[in-house]
Amino acid sequence: MSFSDATAAVSDELAARDDIIVCDGIDKWYGDFQALKGVSANIKEQEVVVVLGPSGSGKSTWIRCINRLEQHQSGRIIVDGVELTNDTRNIEKIRSEVGMVFQQFNLFPHLSVVDNISLAPIWVRKRPRAEAERQARELLERVGIPEQAEKFPGQLSGGQQQRVAIARALAMEPRIMLFDEPTSALDPEMIKEVLDVMKELALGGMTMMVVTHEMGFAREVADRIIFMESGEIVEAGTPEHFFTNPQEDRTKLFLSQIL
Amino acid sequence: MTDTQTSLHRAATEKPPFYRDATVVKWLVQITTLAVTLFAIAFLVREAGDSLQAKSIQTGFGFLEVDPAISLGEGIDTDPATGGRALWVGMVNTIRMAAAGIFLATILGTLIGIGRLSSNWLVAKLASGFIEYMRNIPLLVHIILFFVTIAVVFPDFGENVDPITGEVSQGPWNGVFHVSNKGFSVPRVHIDNGFYQWLIIVAIGSVLGRWVSKRRQALQDRTGQETYPVLSALGVIAVFAAVGWFIHPIFGFVGDAIFAPIRDLIDGTPQGPVQILLSVAAGVVAALWIRRFLAARRTPGGAAKLTDDDWFRVIFAGIAATIACVVILVLWPGLSSWLINSSRDFFDVLANKFGDGRGSVGDDPPFSVSMPDIEKRGNFANMGPSGLNLTQGFAAVFFGVVLYTAAFIAEIVRGGILAVPKGQTEAAEAIGLRRSTMLRRVILPQAFRVSLPPLGNQYLNLTKNTSLAIAVGYTDVVQVGQTIFNQTGRSLEVFIIWMLFYLACSLTISVVVNFFNVRLKIVER
Amino acid sequence: MSSELEHLDGGTAELIANADDREAEEAASRPDEPSLPPLEWLRANLFSSVLNTILTIVFGLAGVLAFQRLLNWAFSHEREWDAVRVNMRALFTFTYPSSQYGRIWITLGIALTLAGLSLGLSRMVGQGFSLKRISTWFMAWGGAVIAGILLVQPHAKRSANGEVLLDADFEPVRESFGTAMADRGWWWLIGVLLLVVGVTMWVGLGDLKRRTTFIGAIPFTLGVLAVLVSTLWWFHWGNYGEQGDIIEPGRTVKDSAKLPWTAMWVVLTAAYIVGRQIAVTDRAGSVRVLVNFSWLLTPFVTFWVILRDPAIDYAHVWSTDLPMAVAFIIGGGAVLFLLTKPGLGEVGRIISIGLFGVAIFNWVAAFFGIYPMLQKARISFLLLALIALAAHNFAGERKQRLRFVLAWAGVMAILHYLVTMINAPSTVDAPDEFVGGFLVTVYIAAFTMIFSFPLGILLALGRTSTLPIFRVLSTIYIETVRGVPFITILFFFSTFLNIFLPDGMEIEQLAAAGLGFALFSAAYLAENIRGGLQAVRRGQYEASDALGLTTVQRTGFIVLPQALRVSIPPLVGATISTFKETSLLAIIGIIDFLRVANSVVPGQTVFLGVRMEGLLFVCMIYWVGAYSMSKFSQRLERHLGVGEH
Repeated sequence: MSFSDATAAVSDELAARDDIIVCDGIDKWYGDFQALKGVSANIKEQEVVVVLGPSGSGKSTWIRCINRLEQHQSGRIIVDGVELTNDTRNIEKIRSEVGMVFQQFNLFPHLSVVDNISLAPIWVRKRPRAEAERQARELLERVGIPEQAEKFPGQLSGGQQQRVAIARALAMEPRIMLFDEPTSALDPEMIKEVLDVMKELALGGMTMMVVTHEMGFAREVADRIIFMESGEIVEAGTPEHFFTNPQEDRTKLFLSQIL
Repeated sequence: MTDTQTSLHRAATEKPPFYRDATVVKWLVQITTLAVTLFAIAFLVREAGDSLQAKSIQTGFGFLEVDPAISLGEGIDTDPATGGRALWVGMVNTIRMAAAGIFLATILGTLIGIGRLSSNWLVAKLASGFIEYMRNIPLLVHIILFFVTIAVVFPDFGENVDPITGEVSQGPWNGVFHVSNKGFSVPRVHIDNGFYQWLIIVAIGSVLGRWVSKRRQALQDRTGQETYPVLSALGVIAVFAAVGWFIHPIFGFVGDAIFAPIRDLIDGTPQGPVQILLSVAAGVVAALWIRRFLAARRTPGGAAKLTDDDWFRVIFAGIAATIACVVILVLWPGLSSWLINSSRDFFDVLANKFGDGRGSVGDDPPFSVSMPDIEKRGNFANMGPSGLNLTQGFAAVFFGVVLYTAAFIAEIVRGGILAVPKGQTEAAEAIGLRRSTMLRRVILPQAFRVSLPPLGNQYLNLTKNTSLAIAVGYTDVVQVGQTIFNQTGRSLEVFIIWMLFYLACSLTISVVVNFFNVRLKIVER
Repeated sequence: MSSELEHLDGGTAELIANADDREAEEAASRPDEPSLPPLEWLRANLFSSVLNTILTIVFGLAGVLAFQRLLNWAFSHEREWDAVRVNMRALFTFTYPSSQYGRIWITLGIALTLAGLSLGLSRMVGQGFSLKRISTWFMAWGGAVIAGILLVQPHAKRSANGEVLLDADFEPVRESFGTAMADRGWWWLIGVLLLVVGVTMWVGLGDLKRRTTFIGAIPFTLGVLAVLVSTLWWFHWGNYGEQGDIIEPGRTVKDSAKLPWTAMWVVLTAAYIVGRQIAVTDRAGSVRVLVNFSWLLTPFVTFWVILRDPAIDYAHVWSTDLPMAVAFIIGGGAVLFLLTKPGLGEVGRIISIGLFGVAIFNWVAAFFGIYPMLQKARISFLLLALIALAAHNFAGERKQRLRFVLAWAGVMAILHYLVTMINAPSTVDAPDEFVGGFLVTVYIAAFTMIFSFPLGILLALGRTSTLPIFRVLSTIYIETVRGVPFITILFFFSTFLNIFLPDGMEIEQLAAAGLGFALFSAAYLAENIRGGLQAVRRGQYEASDALGLTTVQRTGFIVLPQALRVSIPPLVGATISTFKETSLLAIIGIIDFLRVANSVVPGQTVFLGVRMEGLLFVCMIYWVGAYSMSKFSQRLERHLGVGEH
């Protein structure tokens, strides 16, 4: 399916906005295995895109390509007008524009919560330490755990750790946030607290790409849902379109298994 | 649609300047580092060359062929004819010590390690006391202490002199086994002239024995009847060995009819074609390797790009082949003639050993035994027809490395045993195994699996530690090497020989340990 | 805990550490078990089965016999323990001039002050020793002393002029058993006292109380040290003479070490108490950093205190050394301050690459002899260029940049200080080889650790790098060094290093050996640190990348701190190994204390051939040093284990 189809089914209001992420025919191999097969899709500013698909379908690989944690081998990725190439300046720029939240949190265990959040603003954005720490505390307030500022990641619950991870990404004041299965490693009772933070972020107008298995979240928050299987985009559309009236057989099969 | 087009346009792919291209920067940094390293080495080597020239010290490996004019305390040849021979004697001494040491240290270490976990308080305390004593004191101090102790504790050498005949004797079994402050002396079994012919017969016997054992194993599998496959194979080999003892001269033709012609063939080969052949071989090997490598990287789609690492390997293979060609053809033309000469020498040696040509000897036995002999008070008759002498130095180094390594092996064995999950012990107790059976059948096999890699490392350490022999004058490879470079000034050359020798030892031990490691892992599956 | 001598490789260290953990866990799982009555204890631990009974009897008899022989040997009339007593000073400091001895005490005082502070500030608060354990120790030592008194054969009788009386078989004539027992009054007193104290503690305290009352390990050790130091006041352990002059056994001691040692004990204890006081205040953290930093500096400072007279060639220092150091500190600092300005972009990179080019050209110039330059200026310039290349990673606010410049100033100060100290001729009036004994052991071990540590980190980073040439170079280095015995490397450095140096540059044998130690040890440290690096999860790298940290920042702020924490126990192990490996100095002809005991003492006319006694003393010192370090490492490991989440 070509990328023009993937952007087709979007509301007019969204369509009027600028593209902030452009992916054009990305290919990615791991040795013999082709993880991405000509993936093309555009993301508009302030759009919330949820990527669905069975495991091993290439969703994580795709969003990891967008901030160059993985290198795509052919095709083009343009983020906020900057193309991802070997140019070190572009990579630096994009990494500070795009925040990322991981499945395993990946907090730095040897640093306190505040240091975790203020590290990148100090050393990448070159902010004064005092200011960066003040901002860190504000962000903690925003994600609802101001009292944990001086603790170490190991002393927090999974849900709290993931919220710190979100705060850490937000501290760079990114224009885009990527979420790679942010709730998959959490106990059921902690999922909601993380999803609430993400919803609030979406309402605040953040551009977000979310890989998740939380159908409720996808239905409620997403502007668009992209369904992938074996490295290809199978179908894309608004949530109601996607859940009520899927076009492709593979989508129907997936939905019948998961719902 | 149009939006997409414009944003694609806006960021039209432009090549970044080289200093911002991640790949270029990466390789620039690496190549700069390599260049700086090579420059530093060149710098040092040039300085060394100048200093050596200023002191008019000769360089090169010529000393290996020259009489070193040294005599060694012990070894297979105490009066070596060439420097190479002297170093070889040292290497054999090192290997001898290391092999015996590894064997004994393993047994001792295992016992002590189990002892440390004994339910008997006294045994456990003694074992842990031993371990703490050995491993917290430097090995060199242990070795010197043993050296001094041996001189004090054991009886004076040749202290009994018969007042009438003047004959010297030494206990506990005169003429066979002597213990003294100069070391131990025991009978020595050595290879005699018929050995190699006899070896051919034993090899034939082994092949046959293997065949027999397979047959009998098959029979046992089919009928369920006990057929003793291993025993019968050993029996076959034993019969061949016994018969071979008497009939081995019939294989004298192997040397004369097979190895001698090969030697003559090599002797006649000119140097030029060999050079070309070698460089072509280097090129072909590299090309084949690159082709196989590229084939392995190609995806079904055919479009997979090579990563920097892959490029590095391909280029590296190419450069290596080029360097090899340059060395063979230009830098070191002597290499080819050296290769020709040494393979000729090699086959010459084989022709001699397997042939009938060794003096009168067609019917010399494969082995013979020589007894220790006291020449006079305070002096063993040294090598030659005399027995095997383990000097004071040997004993000191041997006890030192064995006990020292045993302490570490004991800790590894303890670690291995404690790494076996508690559930295994409980399960073994639940099915009513006795403690000793449990240890032998359940705990130790699993513990051994965990301990094997660290044990291999201890074996490497033991081998390297034998080099401390220099402190007590045992003639291992380091001691001989040091004597030689003190006399000839060939420091770098001796150092290179040491390095190659020890690297070869390390490699051998790693290969053996890995072999067992892999086998154990297969069992695990 | 790993080495060639036993820089234990990662696998071994881990295996042993895990075993220790499991044993500690099992011991901790039954803290409330009451002590068994003696008879039941014997039955449970020594005679539980037929096999155990046989083992107990066989090993018990063997142990008693060995103990008896050892004591008979040690207390025999043939032993010359005076060889150790008289040479105490030679063993520790060789021929260090008596007039300058104060420096040694000052150095020791600094080290002990830091040690006391560190111990006091330490967060590693273990439970210490239970009174039960202490009382068992008392009883065991008392029992051992009394058993020894009973087992040792009676002394040989001596004639009026002190010679041993011999019988017809040339065996010494011995006292009767009764006289012998009566002669050992002091020993009886000590043995019985220890036993009585132990038994009183055991019986006097209730079972529960003696099991659950704990005394801190450090106060207990300080107490033991106090007893040992106080014995100096009535017994001359050492027999101190002027350098080189052997005092005959039995002569009174000229000047004893009782006062200095007492002072040392007081310093240690006072520092410990001060440390404990600071530990509970808010400033504990910053003081801890200060103390750790002082530890790093101590070897350099004391190196000067001990080896150099303050009267070095000050004219040269004022005219050349100091100006150059100041120039590098100020000039380099200014360059670095500029380069850490945020948003400098490509300009900064071009400047630093230019600097690097000039630095490299300095060495090329040395190679072709284009222009002369002091070696230390070349080194400093190269260092400046390398740091400048990484400077943009540390850009930030003014305070941060100043701190960076300050670090540079510190590095330069230490470097120039050290080079000046090594190059300036000493004015200590002593023979060439006046540095020797235990002093050399300690210095070589300390410098080896300080210098091999950064090199080890670089090698480990190189070996785990994704850049193939770095990886290949590091691997070749590490595997070659680990493949050959240390003694060959030491020979190489001590004998041939000078051949490789440019004309006019020479290096003393001791410094060459030290370099050999550092380069050798670095290869083993690299393997330990590599283990730590591999323990850092992939996600940590990804998270750092996603935040936009540069490679240098990722390595310095995220990866290394985590990796080093994991590698601390093996690194302590490496320190122990290095400590033991210093014994090899004796082989290459440096007079460390093994060589003093093995060659110097047996060569003295008074003690011709007396070797065993000195060697045993050396054994004891090594054992105490290595054993206490390994105990410390075990505690550290448990402490770090507790910190894990």
